[in-house]
Amino acid sequence: MNAIVYIILAAGLIFFSGSTLAAFYWAAKTGQFRNLEDGSQSIFDHDEPVGTATDAFADKTADRPLRRGATALKS
Amino acid sequence: MSATTVHSSTTTPAMDKAERARIDESTRVPVLLFFGSAVFWLLAGSLFALLASFKLNAPHLLDQWGWLTFGRVRPAHLNAVAYGWASSAGIGVALWLMARLCRSPLRHSKLLICAAIFWNIGVLVGIGGILSGDSRSIEWLEFPNYASLMLFVAFGLIAVWAVIMFRFRQPGHVYVSQWYLLAAFLWFPWLYSTANILLNFEPIQGGAQGAVNWWYGHNALGLWFTPIGLAAAYYFIPKVLGRPIHSYYLSILGFWSLALFYSWNGMHHLIGGPFPAWMISASVVASMMMFIPVITTAINHHMTVRGNFGALKWSPTLRFIVFGAMCYTLASLQGILMAIPSLNKITHFTHYTVGHAHLGLYAFFTMIMFGSMYYITPRVVGWEWPSARLIRWHFWLVAIGIGVMVVALTLGGLLQGIALLDPGITFMATLDYTKPWLLLRSGSGILLTVGHIIFAISFTLLLLKVGKRRAGPTLFGTDEVRQPESIIP
Repeated sequence: MNAIVYIILAAGLIFFSGSTLAAFYWAAKTGQFRNLEDGSQSIFDHDEPVGTATDAFADKTADRPLRRGATALKS
Repeated sequence: MSATTVHSSTTTPAMDKAERARIDESTRVPVLLFFGSAVFWLLAGSLFALLASFKLNAPHLLDQWGWLTFGRVRPAHLNAVAYGWASSAGIGVALWLMARLCRSPLRHSKLLICAAIFWNIGVLVGIGGILSGDSRSIEWLEFPNYASLMLFVAFGLIAVWAVIMFRFRQPGHVYVSQWYLLAAFLWFPWLYSTANILLNFEPIQGGAQGAVNWWYGHNALGLWFTPIGLAAAYYFIPKVLGRPIHSYYLSILGFWSLALFYSWNGMHHLIGGPFPAWMISASVVASMMMFIPVITTAINHHMTVRGNFGALKWSPTLRFIVFGAMCYTLASLQGILMAIPSLNKITHFTHYTVGHAHLGLYAFFTMIMFGSMYYITPRVVGWEWPSARLIRWHFWLVAIGIGVMVVALTLGGLLQGIALLDPGITFMATLDYTKPWLLLRSGSGILLTVGHIIFAISFTLLLLKVGKRRAGPTLFGTDEVRQPESIIP
């Protein structure tokens, strides 16, 4: 009984450590560590581009401009 | 495959908007199931917390009922907030983020609905088991085996789902938040099953149980809650401000250094215990190495918001999330210091540790979850939050509440620790020192609970779509969002 448990645990250890290493290798190979600053843009799109704030209290028009790096949303 | 960006120049703003709306809508049922159960468990966990805290002020309170004694109510609180509230809210946020970041509508929602049902039954049965005296008495793993099995099934389903979602993502860059989420989804089932097997199903002997216990306990915080909290912060801070993260390079460095160092940290809970010195030393060193991911994350979040702190006034999401991100830095630095043996000697076995736990799981993680839910829920339901005033009350009550709690427990814990080390002071006298601080803790608990009730009211009103339809700034005009669906076949 104990042997089976330890085999399962060892298999888990190897699988999960292995998958972390594999993920690291995959990331390096597919260029995830290149063009890093482009990567930071990937959460924006044409509708919500850089410079558009996307959240405000319902009672605020939030039309005051951001001081740095971006403009505020227009109501 | 190249990993450059992202939205091809052929799409128009209207198409992007419609795509986003479609993805958000596809997450509705599973995300709301997890959010709804999270809010329920938050309230239940707050009640258990209040009761446990009041019992420290008045030890005989309700002690005629066995199931309401401190030894049961306190683990009921921990498990209700850790597995009921924090994990459910975290899973809900993670599901929504995965769909958005994979730029793909949520697939196989039935898998997730099944997982949500298993999860909630597991937590309910587990807390029932603890209250009825079936607790395993192992911190963070008090749930009896019949409950932890259900949680594991739920987790397995979610992990499989995450891999499928990732497999069918749109080509392009894998954003840093996705790394954190995938890691959390894969690490946690492994941690949870390994710890449960070694402690509850096929228990190992003696002192080694302590090592497994804290390997799990600490990793549950660092490899489950922390990655989800940071994934949300790395998405929402730039997204709300409309400003890319300050240094994407640092964010990736932060992720991989967390992956490398964190799992070694747990043994610093056992400083002074009957364990091989190398185990403790390795853990203390790894704890020091945590400076790297913590400082990179802190610099990144700070520099992204820098110059725009005024935005905290008008964005409910950002207000909660920046508060949480700052507390991540504080909690982590405090944790690193607590791993230094000479300081640990004072803080170990005192209320200081309890303060640290709340700084991490509440001031950091829970605040980020509140902020994320304020962003996600209206987009998923298609309805604006009913009242900005309720959100402000919620924020100030919980921000002041958790501030008071952490300060009280930190100071009280330090005094308690110094007194405990003084052989001239009797043990009973050291308890007297903690009394005023424990009163403050109960007071702050009341503030937090009122804040949670306000949040629950707000959340329920939103789900019921009470009030006038508003195309407020949070939603950017739902009417328009629905309209361009005809563009997409």
